[in-house]
Amino acid sequence: MRQFLFLLKFSYRNLWRAPRRTFIMLMGLILGTGFIIWDLNFANSGSREVMKDFLSQYAGQYHISQKGYYSEESKKEFNNYKTLTDDEIQDKSLFPLSTQRVTAPVFISGEKKTLGVLLTGLDVEKEAKLTSLPKATTIGRFLDPLGDKEIILGKKLAQRIDAKLGDQVVVIGQALDGSVANDLMTVVGLLDFGGGDLEESLAFTQIHSAREMMSMNDNQYHIRVSFDMEDETLPDLPDLQVTSWHELLTEISVSLRFIDNFTWTVTFIIVLVISLGLSNTLMITFFEREQEFQTLNIIGARTNWIALSLMLEVFMMGTMAILGGTLLGHLFTTYSYYYPVNIQLFTGGKPIIMGGMTIVPLVRIYPVMEYYWKVPLLVYFFLGLTMIHPLIRVIRRSQNAI
Amino acid sequence: MQFEMIDVNKIYEASADNKVYGARNINITISDGDFMALVGPSGSGKTTILNLIAGLILPSSGVLNHGGVDITHLSLEERTRHRLESMGFIFQDYQLLPILTAAENIEFPLQLKGYDQQEIKNRVKWALEQVGLPEMGNRFPKQLSGGQQQRVSIARAIAGRPELILADEPTANLDSRTAQEIIELFLKLNKEFNLTFVFSTHDQRLIDEVRTVLYIKDGQITEKRTHHV
Repeated sequence: MRQFLFLLKFSYRNLWRAPRRTFIMLMGLILGTGFIIWDLNFANSGSREVMKDFLSQYAGQYHISQKGYYSEESKKEFNNYKTLTDDEIQDKSLFPLSTQRVTAPVFISGEKKTLGVLLTGLDVEKEAKLTSLPKATTIGRFLDPLGDKEIILGKKLAQRIDAKLGDQVVVIGQALDGSVANDLMTVVGLLDFGGGDLEESLAFTQIHSAREMMSMNDNQYHIRVSFDMEDETLPDLPDLQVTSWHELLTEISVSLRFIDNFTWTVTFIIVLVISLGLSNTLMITFFEREQEFQTLNIIGARTNWIALSLMLEVFMMGTMAILGGTLLGHLFTTYSYYYPVNIQLFTGGKPIIMGGMTIVPLVRIYPVMEYYWKVPLLVYFFLGLTMIHPLIRVIRRSQNAI
Repeated sequence: MQFEMIDVNKIYEASADNKVYGARNINITISDGDFMALVGPSGSGKTTILNLIAGLILPSSGVLNHGGVDITHLSLEERTRHRLESMGFIFQDYQLLPILTAAENIEFPLQLKGYDQQEIKNRVKWALEQVGLPEMGNRFPKQLSGGQQQRVSIARAIAGRPELILADEPTANLDSRTAQEIIELFLKLNKEFNLTFVFSTHDQRLIDEVRTVLYIKDGQITEKRTHHV
């Protein structure tokens, strides 16, 4: 132990024998590590925050339905005849953060035109608690839970069929019993999704109105949409189908995966570039001391002792850099949590529309714990790699002392 | 413990037909308390002989016997350990570690040997006293003069009380007054503690003081003189 402490002191003093050089190397590593941690936190928590905002508007984290409700090939296609009741869901703890929905493709006719849209019957009170749909209803009002046969339309849809607040529109679809379902509904509100495509293809009514039109029982519905998913873990419901948003919105999910992988790739490249620079500096530093390594060998220091002292030197520098870098990265991340980053900075001020909806551009960045050990490991790994060549040369030189 | 070089040759082969003898038919016996100098012009082979004694290089043929152990049969790491255990080194340009204080430089080989802290403290104190620098232990090499650095180098070599101390041109970088002081220090250490010294040197003052002088030319011992100092 005492010998190791001496070795540690020896390595530490060697680390600071050229203080300016060590300081520059250290600062490079600290800034690099700090930036990587912030950048990964930004990419990960940023995209999660964006997704959370997007999913809370309407789509939800996952859907519970009968098996076969969503087509296996494409989750955009669904079988309207597969209905569900709460009796079929054993785990009642899933209910507080989920809501029932009835969905049906219908035609809606206004003064001018008839257009095909997806009509969703909502449990109004529950939706108001879980989603931001009421906030998106910028003209008129949201659905009244006690009202009947009210409808809210996307702004673009209302424009195209020439429907205004207070107008009655005709809704035509197919009921569960196969008969033609039709009803007159009163427009009470218009939805603003920032001009996205969904403004043109969505309409909402009270769930009981949708049931009545579709000839469904009072306890029947198509899907239960959940707004809470811990650690991306889906509930285990063997007799039912649980579909994650990743499957429902594959394009968005793939884009996010791309961002994640791209960020890691950039991280690797940054660390590699820093490592190459560092390797060069280490090589120069070590070669300047070749004579000293020979002296050490002559006065009795074995080759592994010399190699170990060099490794400790680099390990200490790496540890200081990782501690400093992690702290720096965490400070910036915390700052970006309390002062959210406006991601419209990256779009030239233009709104960000995802899946047909505009998302809130202010993103809180929070620390993602896995990066606080993955990044240090990555830095140590590359530091280890940078040591290989200089170390081989040092070992060879110290062995051929004279 | 006696050190013997028996029929030692060291051949450097630059190419198949270009062989250079660094040492040729060397037979030397170094006994406890010897005070010996290897003398010769540059390139004569005296440093090669010193390196062979130290086990830093291996002979092409012959035996290096130290207390019954043929060090030519030891591995590189074993030879390093052997040097640590039984030899001390003094260099022409001192070769102190700049990041360590004088005391820590002396402590270095003692730490490698695994002595306990108290033993190390005592030995460092003793060595610094012997070389006349009892108050300089906390100074770094750059804070010391050339002569003082050489004294620290000597203290490092003697602190472990080695059986054999090898010194390569120890006075070559010093002014004449300091060189004289260092020679007197070697003599004192040899007389008082019966330490064994082998020098390679050009310095006539040192040559005049040693008991055995081996003249080297083209890797061979051409003459041996014994003084009764």
